[in-house]
Amino acid sequence: MHFTPNVNLPRYRVALYGVVVWMTLVILGGFLLDIPRINILEHTARNLYFHVPMWFTMLAASFVSGYQSYKVLKHNDLIHDIRAVEASRLGVLFGLMGLITGSVWARYTWYVGTPIWWNFDPKQSLAAIGVLIYGAYFVLRSSVDDPEKRARIAAVYNLFASSTLPFLLYVVPRQLDSLHPGAEGNPAFSDITHPIMRLVFYPAVIGFIGLFWVIYTQRVRAGVVEERIAQREEHG
Amino acid sequence: MTIHPILQETPQEAGQTGDGAIHTAYDSTWATAQIPEQGPLGSEQYMLAEDKLFVVLAVVLIIWAGLALYLFRTDRKLARLERALEERS
Repeated sequence: MHFTPNVNLPRYRVALYGVVVWMTLVILGGFLLDIPRINILEHTARNLYFHVPMWFTMLAASFVSGYQSYKVLKHNDLIHDIRAVEASRLGVLFGLMGLITGSVWARYTWYVGTPIWWNFDPKQSLAAIGVLIYGAYFVLRSSVDDPEKRARIAAVYNLFASSTLPFLLYVVPRQLDSLHPGAEGNPAFSDITHPIMRLVFYPAVIGFIGLFWVIYTQRVRAGVVEERIAQREEHG
Repeated sequence: MTIHPILQETPQEAGQTGDGAIHTAYDSTWATAQIPEQGPLGSEQYMLAEDKLFVVLAVVLIIWAGLALYLFRTDRKLARLERALEERS
């Protein structure tokens, strides 16, 4: 299996500084700008800017990992395996954070006075299943010793895993009874969200995906360094 | 020494909700004592407004600053490692 370590550093540097500035502005805007006064939600409506981007980021991570897995199978190059793993890892991290933030938000907003931290909302449960599907990817990887074989087997599984996410997170929940907007085929997000919230929400999505990209690139660089050291030790 | 001494609960105070608040022995003195006459001054004028939302903002900004610092530190560490690897080969 080849290994062509290539990371676009100038582009990464731009992204790093850009994301730090961008996310600072998103945070400031998220707290300082007005929001419509909504019953029950009150200020928690601002969670829109932080909880929802977790899922957009997980989807983005799944696209990256799926694409890199395809590249593993096509080019037989270890760099794509490293990229697929790190993208999946971050996807799981953002997914977990999305689940936890959603659970806490719901508990103190719609389930006040009850001990309900998980209400088996379709989107919530299917998202958890999506995270588990990605978790199985890592279990699979740990079961194969040979790096080449591991890369190829894992890539095949990842293609399946990343293709399930759009259905689990978006298509199916919209058809079912749900606390989330857009349930039962109702108008989804765009029709019910006040314009001023979109001013922060869309940049927040972009910002979090940018943040994912920066951390992902850092982890890929670290993986490349590790692999280069490992290969050097092999060849003496 | 405690700045806010623990209150002696009287039977009628315990659990009473006159203004909707819950009174317990560990309540801040603000719950039962005199409300200060003059309004907040200086930075408090800003931070205490909007149901103390800006306190949350401050917390989030501090966390974010820490994360950004971590990102920059990792970046520098990686650059150092990559440089060391280049020099070796």
